[in-house]
Amino acid sequence: MNRSGISRRKFIIGSAVGGASLVASNYLNFDSWANSKSDSNDLKITPTLCDGCGNWCAINVYTRGDRIWKAEGIPIAGNNHGRICAKGHALLHEVYNKDRIKSPLKRTGPNKFQPISWEQVYREIGEKVHEIIGKDGPQSLFLLQYPEGNASLCSRFMNALGSPNVFSHASTCFLPRNIGWWITTGSAKPEHDLEHTRFAVFLGRNIAAGLRLRQLSDLSKAKDRGARFVAIDPRFSELASYTHQWVQIRPGTDLALMLALGNTLIEENLYQRDYIDKYTEGFDELAQKFKDYTPDWAEQKTGVPKAVIRKLAHDLAEYAPQSFVHRGYHGALGTQYKNSFQLVRAVACVNGLLGNFNQRGGMFDPPKVKLGKLDSQKFPKLPEMDGVMVDGSGDVDRYPITPVGLGLTHSIPELAIAGKLKAGFVYHNNPLRTCPNPARVIEGYRKLDLLVSFDYVLSETASLAHYILPESYYLERDDVVHTNHCYDSHQVAIRQAVIKPLYDTKPMVLILIELAKSLGIGDYFNFTLDEYNRAALAPLGVTLERLKREGVIDLGGKWEPGPPHFKTPSGKLEFVSSTLKDLNLPSAPELEDPLVTPDESDIRSFRLIHGKQAHHTHAKTINQEYLKEISVLNDMTRVWIHPDRAKALGIEDGDCMTISNNVGKGRARALLTQGIHRDCIFLPSSYGVYSKKLHTAFGYGISYNDFLPTYFEPVLGHCMSNEIIVRVEKTPA
Amino acid sequence: MPRYGIAIDSTKCVGCHSCRVACQNQNSLESNETFNWIKHRDRGRYPSYYKEFIPLQCNHCENAPCQRVCPTGATYTSKEGVVLVNPKTCVGCKYCMEACPYKMRIIDHRRGIVEKCRLCIELVRDGGTPACVTTCPTQVRIFGDLDDPKSAVSIFIAKTGAQPLRPDLGTIPKIFYKRS
Repeated sequence: MNRSGISRRKFIIGSAVGGASLVASNYLNFDSWANSKSDSNDLKITPTLCDGCGNWCAINVYTRGDRIWKAEGIPIAGNNHGRICAKGHALLHEVYNKDRIKSPLKRTGPNKFQPISWEQVYREIGEKVHEIIGKDGPQSLFLLQYPEGNASLCSRFMNALGSPNVFSHASTCFLPRNIGWWITTGSAKPEHDLEHTRFAVFLGRNIAAGLRLRQLSDLSKAKDRGARFVAIDPRFSELASYTHQWVQIRPGTDLALMLALGNTLIEENLYQRDYIDKYTEGFDELAQKFKDYTPDWAEQKTGVPKAVIRKLAHDLAEYAPQSFVHRGYHGALGTQYKNSFQLVRAVACVNGLLGNFNQRGGMFDPPKVKLGKLDSQKFPKLPEMDGVMVDGSGDVDRYPITPVGLGLTHSIPELAIAGKLKAGFVYHNNPLRTCPNPARVIEGYRKLDLLVSFDYVLSETASLAHYILPESYYLERDDVVHTNHCYDSHQVAIRQAVIKPLYDTKPMVLILIELAKSLGIGDYFNFTLDEYNRAALAPLGVTLERLKREGVIDLGGKWEPGPPHFKTPSGKLEFVSSTLKDLNLPSAPELEDPLVTPDESDIRSFRLIHGKQAHHTHAKTINQEYLKEISVLNDMTRVWIHPDRAKALGIEDGDCMTISNNVGKGRARALLTQGIHRDCIFLPSSYGVYSKKLHTAFGYGISYNDFLPTYFEPVLGHCMSNEIIVRVEKTPA
Repeated sequence: MPRYGIAIDSTKCVGCHSCRVACQNQNSLESNETFNWIKHRDRGRYPSYYKEFIPLQCNHCENAPCQRVCPTGATYTSKEGVVLVNPKTCVGCKYCMEACPYKMRIIDHRRGIVEKCRLCIELVRDGGTPACVTTCPTQVRIFGDLDDPKSAVSIFIAKTGAQPLRPDLGTIPKIFYKRS
């Protein structure tokens, strides 16, 4: 569009009339912004929570009139300390994305949808659900969500329907990490006093891309104070650029390294004896178990020189308790390997040997805010829901320590194919892209008699849904109050609407309340969101009005170091776990090899590893043009490969490679770098969108899930997402 | 009158690109227009291999080549030492783009002029700091008055010996880098 000749005045009027117009029409140049300051009375600041990833950073969003302009971080927020990442800034534009769903939709054919009224869609879903419950029982229903914010109401919704099957993304993300720490210390997600630490080891954890803004900010302060950091990773991660040392490790062997660290600490008497006597359980058995895991032995397994392993142990011990091995996330300690659970246990035990729990510069159980509940006089209480999930979570004979309510997301397609699940609700999740082996996932989800999505765009999963009830975008809606910002203090925060919904969409809570009526469970949803939030806030002495004004409120009670309290059966840190012993599982950490290894005799055989990039969250943000532009400009979909390995295959930097195995096949360009272990190639996990209705993202890059078989780890059932062997070849011209 | 500058500790940069998008929003730029970039350089072989991220933006040179070649005087230096473009007099000839040894200027296709980093002067004059500084998770950038020896930026430069890029060009930049 030719804009020359349009006066600024007309231009602004034009963009105001065009309500849903695109970014371009919001363009305010420098002088116009400077001039417009005099009439800046339409400038408004609304505090809310970002939705770029699971951190939910607290932000102040600036609007000019009804148009969103920019955001700044809220300084007191424990999770982000006033900082925002690229996603947080860029997603402000996403509300104006052309790909958004503008009203409820009903699927009429492959990738064909027709608008439908809210009343009609509630009625049709109600009838269908009643029919399915009548025929197959409520256990054949499931809900898959990203367990935050409105999660409590989603669970209430499913439990009211009589189904325990509330799934999260845990089994493709963090499951072993949570269970391992919980078994050992009673805290599923301990935090770090990073700001005061003096030496920290990051094992397969990249907080500079799987972003934790608070941790990065604290890390920076600690660095200024002279603290030292080591990144242990098969590849030179973004965090490795920041740390003082990078230790390259053979993928899947982190457990051997950790066992050798434990061995060195014990054999060389480097552990905190007093602390261990007082606060831990099973030291002697652990010492016995670790006896053979020497640094010499670990060098063979990991490729890390024994001198480096000894040095790490000595450094950790020298600064203990102001030192730690990071508690991990999705990396080696998450759902990536068969031995991830043993690894988490080993990491927790090594931290135990350092005596750093609840110590300055060590680790701690983050303070938790206890929210209030609805008055059971006025609002009927749900009947107790017990019983195991359909996937075997919580079942003594199957996955006894996998919690009900997290479940195994990648088991859903298998259960649908087996006829055990008939209908599902998917909220804030996209299993068709984020679960292993998409062909199988599609087959499974297609089998469902009813699939309801609450997505705001036609993601892969929404494209397959029978009905889409579009949730308002996070900048257009209020959510349940949130306590994720605690970190080292007690904080409560809220997400609230910054602008009015642009289209015929509704907040999730309102959709649940209205849908509940047509499902015959309206009695359990006879409240408004505000009533629910007021009940939650009541014990905190904070009014909803004040919270909406301030966005985040610090309730005090900051964490202080002191004697540790462990919420384990013995009340101590359990080197040897009675829970695991009772279940006939290894009670102390022990070596377990990865499930698969590359074929050493084949120069084309590699392990495929993956990881995040700082400006993307899974494959959910690549449809945002500001973020895609960063990837395009820096050519970031390339697959990392070691130059020597590439040379043997005749691959040069930038060449197209064909990657294949018996699950999938894909092509990507090569990035030759010294920053990767010879045994593996690295694929960024931000790409590979295959929904044609996501116009910016479609067809850009590939995803590791395309090569990942559907695995269930025997103890917890997680997806083992790095247990992939692929064949790499140069793509013929 | 202050003389503003920024010290960049590139050893702290993790390449997250938050600065880029914060800047785009602050200045209402489109997705493919930017006033700052992050370049990375691979160095050495394992075990001494490392990768350096280097945030780049206009250096706000005291002796600005872009200003010298501007035929209409559209490029000027503000009283705070910030190199700016007057959109009313810029004719889009792009001489400045050629003259800038750091290649930090971009074309604004909608207005047919050349644009660049403004050091968020409108925020700074209100007592704030540039958007790229505020948003950075690892506090890579330190902003302040170079003429005030007690400002954080001056102290940082004095302590670390941070240097501008290519000081040999005689452009006298006001952005300083600590790179190791």
